[in-house]
Amino acid sequence: MLITFGKFSTLTETYYNALTMINTDTASVWNTCLKEIELEVSKANFSTWFRHTSLVKEDAGIITVGVPNEFVRDWLLNKYNKLITKVLLNALENNVRGVEYVIVKHDMKPKTDENGGLSMMSTPSRELPLADLYINKEDNLNPRYTFDSFIVGPFNELGYAAAQAIIARPGQSYNPFFIYGNTGLGKTHLIQAIGNTIKIKHPAKKVHYITLEKFAMDYINAVHNNKANTFKEKYRKYDVLIIDDIQFISKMEKTQEELFHLFNAFYENGKQIVFSSDKHPNYITGLEARLHSRFSQGMIVDISEPDFESRVAILRAKAANHQNFITPEIISAIAESVEGNIRELEGSLNSVVCHAELKGRVPSIADVKNLLKNNVRPKKNVSVAEVVKIVAGFYSIEENLIYDKTRRKEIVKARQMIMYILREMFNVSYPLIGQKLGGKDHTTVIHSCEKIKNDLKHDPTIVSELEQLKIMFK
Amino acid sequence: MNIECSVEKLKRAAQTGERMTGKNLTLPILSSLLLVASGKSLKVRATNLSLGIEVEIPAKVTTEGVLAVRGDTLSQFLSSLDGNQMITLKEVGDTLSLATKESRATIKTFPYEDFPTIPVVDGESFKLPLEKFVSAVKAVSYSGSTSDIKPEIASVYLYTDSSDLVAVATDSFRLAEKRVRISNVPDISGIIVPNKNINEIIRSLDGMSGELSVVFTKNQISFSFDDTYITSRLIDGVFPDYKQIIPKTKTTSVVVLRSELQGALKAATVFTDKFNQITFTVDVARKHFSINAKNTDIGEHTTDIPAALSGEDVTVSLNERYVIDCFQSITADSISIDFLGNSKPVIFKGISDQTFTYLAMPMNR
Repeated sequence: MLITFGKFSTLTETYYNALTMINTDTASVWNTCLKEIELEVSKANFSTWFRHTSLVKEDAGIITVGVPNEFVRDWLLNKYNKLITKVLLNALENNVRGVEYVIVKHDMKPKTDENGGLSMMSTPSRELPLADLYINKEDNLNPRYTFDSFIVGPFNELGYAAAQAIIARPGQSYNPFFIYGNTGLGKTHLIQAIGNTIKIKHPAKKVHYITLEKFAMDYINAVHNNKANTFKEKYRKYDVLIIDDIQFISKMEKTQEELFHLFNAFYENGKQIVFSSDKHPNYITGLEARLHSRFSQGMIVDISEPDFESRVAILRAKAANHQNFITPEIISAIAESVEGNIRELEGSLNSVVCHAELKGRVPSIADVKNLLKNNVRPKKNVSVAEVVKIVAGFYSIEENLIYDKTRRKEIVKARQMIMYILREMFNVSYPLIGQKLGGKDHTTVIHSCEKIKNDLKHDPTIVSELEQLKIMFK
Repeated sequence: MNIECSVEKLKRAAQTGERMTGKNLTLPILSSLLLVASGKSLKVRATNLSLGIEVEIPAKVTTEGVLAVRGDTLSQFLSSLDGNQMITLKEVGDTLSLATKESRATIKTFPYEDFPTIPVVDGESFKLPLEKFVSAVKAVSYSGSTSDIKPEIASVYLYTDSSDLVAVATDSFRLAEKRVRISNVPDISGIIVPNKNINEIIRSLDGMSGELSVVFTKNQISFSFDDTYITSRLIDGVFPDYKQIIPKTKTTSVVVLRSELQGALKAATVFTDKFNQITFTVDVARKHFSINAKNTDIGEHTTDIPAALSGEDVTVSLNERYVIDCFQSITADSISIDFLGNSKPVIFKGISDQTFTYLAMPMNR
């Protein structure tokens, strides 16, 4: 662990000001001077005494030369003053009344680029945030994630309401709480906020947040060191356990078993468990049935993609620090062109802010649109053939059978499903669907869609198959 | 040049000077010592353009003169001689001939015109007892960073706080602070002396006593003591605001006998892993303070140390080397260890000694 210090500002304002006064002219003058001096003195002397020098400023005939330290200053003054004055007189056509030497910090020397001109110095204008360092080592929670910064919209209000109920009575209302949704929609924010708020409201409760990957690593290490017991004790002493990205548990048999026992211990003692995943437990492959049923025992909530209004609200909250540059018009432009993922939304906002800071002015809407072009993921366009391929793959039947006139039951079902998906998800017209699927009449297609719609009402297997297929198209 | 002086004094001057000669090859003259004979003394000068030293020793000067000889040659030759005798130094052509009663040597000289001057610092000055300065710097300098990437922390930071001179060093994994009480010191807002330089300075001053006069400007500092003048460049930067990481509150405090802690650490050394990790565990209810070290390839070890405990139970893993380091600066028989909670920094202090504070960061595994 490192000691980290808040501020590391090393630039002294005065030097910076002094240095900005140099124009390319004087810098190139000093370069020619150095070339002349190089011929006059030995190579060793030149590299020791002149290599790190620079011309700091020229003021009414008084030339100020920057040197790295006092040793060099004394030596140039005693030994080379005449030489330096001579070459400067030559270079500036007798416009020199005296030469002074000042000590300039090593890394402050103006760097010259290939053309001999001054290159722009990069100065950190602002401290960079050290977000990772604020994570509390005991409970792994990042205090940045709170409900104050959590935007509630129709897409996540159910999750939010459940979270509030859990905070009010941890372990009693919804246990376990299982939250799922696509990447970048705020799952981690929500579950960490639950942890952070429980910590404040119930200081006696020990909260622990862990990603599944770390949990599994911890388990493997414990087994490796013959410390499986300490592992069990360690986790059992917490009152609230939050496990993120639980979907990675698939295929980890021993970790599943350990989690199963841990789960039982928590559940029996009325301790709260919170899981997050990017899939519904039904679709986590390789999940043991006993875990699956336990996940479903409490509350399963999904977070969907934010609608336009929510996106605007999120952007407004995120842009609060950059109000100089970000106008409401820009916010709605970003919200319009970026859909879905909140992380991408933030990324787009950041690139606009960065662009604006660089240019130092409020970007125009055209600028923003232009910028976002590179950032925005193109909307997915799925061809009919692709839908056929995915669905056929899902039902494990051969693709070309779909286009054939066969009436085998399983193929008919897949074909009808394809038609339904093309119609409902991608808005393809009935005749076109029929034409693409081996020249069927549009009434056949209508019939298929109706049939699936009806089946969905009373056949739970069809519902779950459709759900799963929908995820595959995302 | 033709002079006579004591071997003892010349030996010390040459050895101190030799350590400060430049070892880089760009300017070979920097590896020399410059000998200046004038009046009634001989001055021995050396510099590596970051540090400079001049030692003046009494000599019987028959002919004045200046010459430069290789520092390592001269100091190694002198170190083989018995100190209680006189030596004559004489310039013969382009060699320096040295002669005592029994032994004679000639050393090749170099043109001295290229030998740099040693800056004379003109700025704020103050005086303090040399021992106090040496003890303050010695107590912390081992904690400084050894890498030059951040010169600000590859340094010892000196400043005054009311009537204390405070020396601080950190390599960002641990931090040591030592305060010494001195009088008549100007307000020093902060001087950053490179670690390498201050260690050489301390080595040349160590073991002496008397009054040290210090002069400093923004870029340079000088120390004069008796016949020795040393000057070093300073780091022009900002030392991290370390006070913000020294916590004010503690959750657990432990007092142990220094000898027992040292013994336990010695045993733990055998079992530490390649990260030197040891674990301190405090169990207040059972009155246990134990040190545990574990290496999957070697084995495991635990020592319980009798200790006075108060506060909450705590477990912290530390780098053992950092813990052992602080013993050199704690002279008291008992050591107080303050914990701030699990996996939080740990503070070591000598009992009844408020002048030294040592903070070690926890290991995070």
